[in-house]
Amino acid sequence: MNAESPQPLIEVEKLNVWFGRRQVLFDVDFAVMPGEIRVIMGGSGSGKSTLLRHLLGLLRPRSGRVRILGTDIASASPEELLKLRTQMGVSFQGGALFTSMTVGDNVALPLREHQKLDETTVRIMSRLKLEVVNLGGFQDLMPSQLSGGMIKRAALARAIVMDPKLLFFDEPSAGLDPVVSAELDELILRLRDALRMTIVVVTHELESAFKIADSITVLDKGRILMTGPVAEVRASPNERIQDLLNRRPRPVEVDTDEYLRRLTEEDA
Amino acid sequence: MSFLEQATKPVNRLGRKAVAAVAELGYIGLLLLESLYFAIAGWRVGQPVRVRMVFEQMRQVGVDAIPIVLLLSFTVGVMLGIQFIAALSEFGAENQVVIAVAKSVTREFAVLITGIVVAGRSGSSFAARIGSMNVSQEVDALAVIGIEPVRYLASPALVAMLIMLPVLTILANGASILGAALYCSPTLDVSIGAYVVQTLNSLEPWDIGQGLAKSFVFAALITLVGVSTGFSVTGGAEGVGRATTRAVVLSISALVIADMMFSYFLNR
Amino acid sequence: MNDCRTEVEGEFALVRVQGEVDLSWSQSVRKAILDALAKARAVGVELSGVSYIDSSGIAALVEGFQSARGKGQKFSLVAASQPVRAVLQLARLDRVFPMVENVEAARA
Repeated sequence: MNAESPQPLIEVEKLNVWFGRRQVLFDVDFAVMPGEIRVIMGGSGSGKSTLLRHLLGLLRPRSGRVRILGTDIASASPEELLKLRTQMGVSFQGGALFTSMTVGDNVALPLREHQKLDETTVRIMSRLKLEVVNLGGFQDLMPSQLSGGMIKRAALARAIVMDPKLLFFDEPSAGLDPVVSAELDELILRLRDALRMTIVVVTHELESAFKIADSITVLDKGRILMTGPVAEVRASPNERIQDLLNRRPRPVEVDTDEYLRRLTEEDA
Repeated sequence: MSFLEQATKPVNRLGRKAVAAVAELGYIGLLLLESLYFAIAGWRVGQPVRVRMVFEQMRQVGVDAIPIVLLLSFTVGVMLGIQFIAALSEFGAENQVVIAVAKSVTREFAVLITGIVVAGRSGSSFAARIGSMNVSQEVDALAVIGIEPVRYLASPALVAMLIMLPVLTILANGASILGAALYCSPTLDVSIGAYVVQTLNSLEPWDIGQGLAKSFVFAALITLVGVSTGFSVTGGAEGVGRATTRAVVLSISALVIADMMFSYFLNR
Repeated sequence: MNDCRTEVEGEFALVRVQGEVDLSWSQSVRKAILDALAKARAVGVELSGVSYIDSSGIAALVEGFQSARGKGQKFSLVAASQPVRAVLQLARLDRVFPMVENVEAARA
């Protein structure tokens, strides 16, 4: 066991992404080690959602390389991708619970789809995860009957029901009151410790980022400004990072030609 | 801007629209192949199409549509009876009404009315359901859980439609003939039973076969247009609304045009 | 190194589990526990050699405990290792299961 040298679970090299003629990610390099909690931070339009979609294998890289748990996303066969997906869990920003199913069925769905388990085991495992996120006894409700914080927690329960090696969490605290979001942060830390998960959190909430992160990647306008431990990021002399940390509005740069082109051209 | 650029602008725009249209057609073709692939061989790659979901869809697109399909095709039958009696009596050829109604109903009107009703009910509901799932990231959630969205959302719908649209068409045939019989039998001075027997005698298997053949094509068209529109929804709740309308308009147009081409080639 | 064996001594059965309990073989742990409950009046599950347990393993323990309570049998977790305790605490199950430090306590 100890002979294994630790390999990064996530490796991104020179990822460049275009949407049409617009480039949204520039030469992104990104690596996450086992057991790490990594926070990807950036404002809106920084490209963090696009990076996340690549990490989830929802987008295949056309330039550069993305390897998750050793699987190259660009060249993975459907079988390899399926195997990879049983080892990762995702909690989406809005929860993305299936509205036509009860909370319990939502949480149990990955188990039922991928494992041939005894129904008793499925029931216990999925309700256990509801207990973990403090939603014990809520399995028969429909998602529409839940509050925002409860939806987030139910989504987390579904994300961890297969005991994934890798957990992605998109904006855990967006739209939640401070107490609920603090509870979620606490839960993320406990999940890593008890279930040995490697966790990637995308957020723009500084407080939560500083509390849970082992290291932070700061993304701005499609480029990685820095990756480092919390203290290093806080102490960074980089002006954009300090703008982000201190919530300073960024100065708008004006390029005369570009500006005029945008205002006058029909197909800008 | 140069004169040349000005002059070619409409062409340019037309070109882009054409490229988009071809891309969409290609996407619809792929969707058809993929849906059929999962329905036939999905279970071998861990992506089985659940029989339970197919039955649920069959209920929604088929069984629930029976009353309205019966009502409308009955009405169309009465209408055809009125028109044919009026038109043919000018030539003193009232007794040809039976065969005229029989052929036009089985070859053309029953399947067309059924198609339009189902496009309005189910084409729009496919687009709305998948569209709103797309907007709320439920489609992404399916993908990262390892459930191919096409297998889960498109295949059961396609299979259900391919089974139920022909069934509805046969029911519509019956209701239309009955409608015509009710209106015509007093004028023709025959009993309703005799009218129906005469109808059955004047029909060849190919008349009914032609309608059924069309119903398969319509089933595929309605499903694919609805599903593909749903998958390509962007822009929140408003986008879902637009997609729903677009799905109905597009699928009914596709259906009428396909019908015309069918009739042309089959009746040469 | 993943191993699960049962020692029956009269009324008491001890299920020794070792290694990393995960989905790949947790169903055999489940079966071993349920079988032990069918054979003996009191069952202890010895977990000191477990370095990792996932929720399917926990589910096996829960199902065993539930079945034991239903039939009035004694069920306890013996010398649970730190990783096991961490997972139990996550779902507050450490306050549900009877946890004992050694085999003698489980037998008593």
